[in-house]
Amino acid sequence: MLKAENLSVIYPGSDKPALSNVDLSFEQGEFVCVLGQSGAGKSTLIRCMNGLQKATEGEMFWDGSPLSKIDDKQLRTVRKETGMIFQHFNLVPRLSVFQNVLTGLFGSRNNFRNAFGLFSDEEKEMARQVIGNVGLENEIGRRVENLSGGQKQRVGIARALLQQPKVFLGDEPVASLDPGTAAHIFNLLQEIHFSHNLLTIINVHDVNLAKHYATRVLALKEGKVIFDGKPEEFTDEYYHLTYNSAQKKQQFSVVSKR
Amino acid sequence: MAWFKKRSLLTFTVLILLVYASMRLTEFDLSKFKDFRNMIDFLSGWFPVDWSLLPDMLRDSLDTLAMAFLGSFLGLLIALPISFIAARNTSPYRSLFHFMRVALSFIRSIPEIVFGLVLLTALGLGPFPAVLAIMFHNIGVLGKLISELIEAADEGPQEAMKAVGAKNWFAFLFSVLPQIWPNVLSHYFYRFEVAIRTSLILGFIGGGGIGQRLFNDFKTFNYSSVSLDVLLIMLMVIAVDFYGSYVRSKVI
Ligand SMILES: Nc1ncnc2c1ncn2[C@@H]1O[C@H](COP(=O)(O)OP(=O)(O)OP(=O)(O)O)[C@@H](O)[C@H]1O
Ligand SMILES: [Mg+2]
Repeated sequence: MLKAENLSVIYPGSDKPALSNVDLSFEQGEFVCVLGQSGAGKSTLIRCMNGLQKATEGEMFWDGSPLSKIDDKQLRTVRKETGMIFQHFNLVPRLSVFQNVLTGLFGSRNNFRNAFGLFSDEEKEMARQVIGNVGLENEIGRRVENLSGGQKQRVGIARALLQQPKVFLGDEPVASLDPGTAAHIFNLLQEIHFSHNLLTIINVHDVNLAKHYATRVLALKEGKVIFDGKPEEFTDEYYHLTYNSAQKKQQFSVVSKR
Repeated sequence: MAWFKKRSLLTFTVLILLVYASMRLTEFDLSKFKDFRNMIDFLSGWFPVDWSLLPDMLRDSLDTLAMAFLGSFLGLLIALPISFIAARNTSPYRSLFHFMRVALSFIRSIPEIVFGLVLLTALGLGPFPAVLAIMFHNIGVLGKLISELIEAADEGPQEAMKAVGAKNWFAFLFSVLPQIWPNVLSHYFYRFEVAIRTSLILGFIGGGGIGQRLFNDFKTFNYSSVSLDVLLIMLMVIAVDFYGSYVRSKVI
């Protein structure tokens, strides 16, 4: 479904690659959690998957389409079929829950109808349904700024769901939420994942969440994949490898010798 | 002098010199108030207020209001799309962005009165050239202000709209407009208020409205009418200011 081939990203003005020579492939039905320290390249990898970030070298294939070669229109089709949720929710302010969710349809309709908010009864009904799926039926008319963090992320999920995506991406969708709310969101994502048979790829900071929900865990470090396997294979050893820099280890060993 | 460095002392001296030089250049002279009686005599001529021409004056005030509104509103309508081109983050091409920025500051650098003088000469006396003068200047001012609002808008929603599969320009428009709308309105109402004052000046040079009447009443020593003209102008400015605050409080 998704395939990275020798994928590298170097941001302009930086000499260190954010991703270097990554080879990965993902299939429908996988629930992947991506771990890694801050700056490891997690966001960059996720953003490459729907072409929000261009590869400097190598290629990302979306169901066979090379994202750096296809034209704008095809890229928009790819994005339409890829739902994405974000750490800071990225909802459009001053609009209601209902209106925000409807923006999920923007990729599949013409802009004149989008601009004037001309949605068919069928489309509105679909929006109400996904809002019900994420448990926000009672908040449907409220403005999104006034919602709690967990509710905002539910709006984000509903917006992505309305796209009827094949792939679901999340860039640290629970990093600004408390642990209880984070678990609720993950339960919801898991439920959606299995009922729609998606490919779900999510960045997390919390290793326990990753091990509990993922069917496959990835760990990145300095732009390279250092672990790719089943959650139970992600041992403490890999944990330290992922989260401790070599320098820190050295300091630690010096201290322990004394 | 623990609070002052040598440098600030120097700044202070320079400032004093600047004030002195400016006073010389502007013939600043408080002793002129010796003949204060003249001033009182002059102002007493303003009263009692002559109400007889009130209907005509109201009619002219309406002209002024219409001039200011139309000029600033057309300015807003034209400035809005331009400001998306003149904002670093939404401009389709780098070169177009630079061009627009320069064009906007060029328009801004031309005072309304100059636009007014040129247009009144070219198109003849009356409110229409005044409307155009106000419009041009406001395209420059609002274009700059709004493009700065666009640059300061949160990028998150724009990214989300792109991720949904919307076209880039539509993603920008749809996610940025709701964010900047209250501030756009507040800039607009301020410009509307300024436009009322501008249309008075443009009235002095033949642009019509209450400004032209005020000028004529002044020139013909018709001071009991001048007082009513001034009163109406003040009421108008205050009314627009109040209405602006009301609309903003509704929108935020
Ligand atoms: N727009 C950008 N311009 C320049 N460098 C960037 C940009 N975005 C990210 N980087 C750099 O690329 C590297 C990888 O960043 P990325 O955001 O992918 O990391 P991350 O794993 O998502 O980190 P975090 O957990 O903090 O979100 C970092 O060194 C970062 O400084
Ligand atoms: Mg990140």
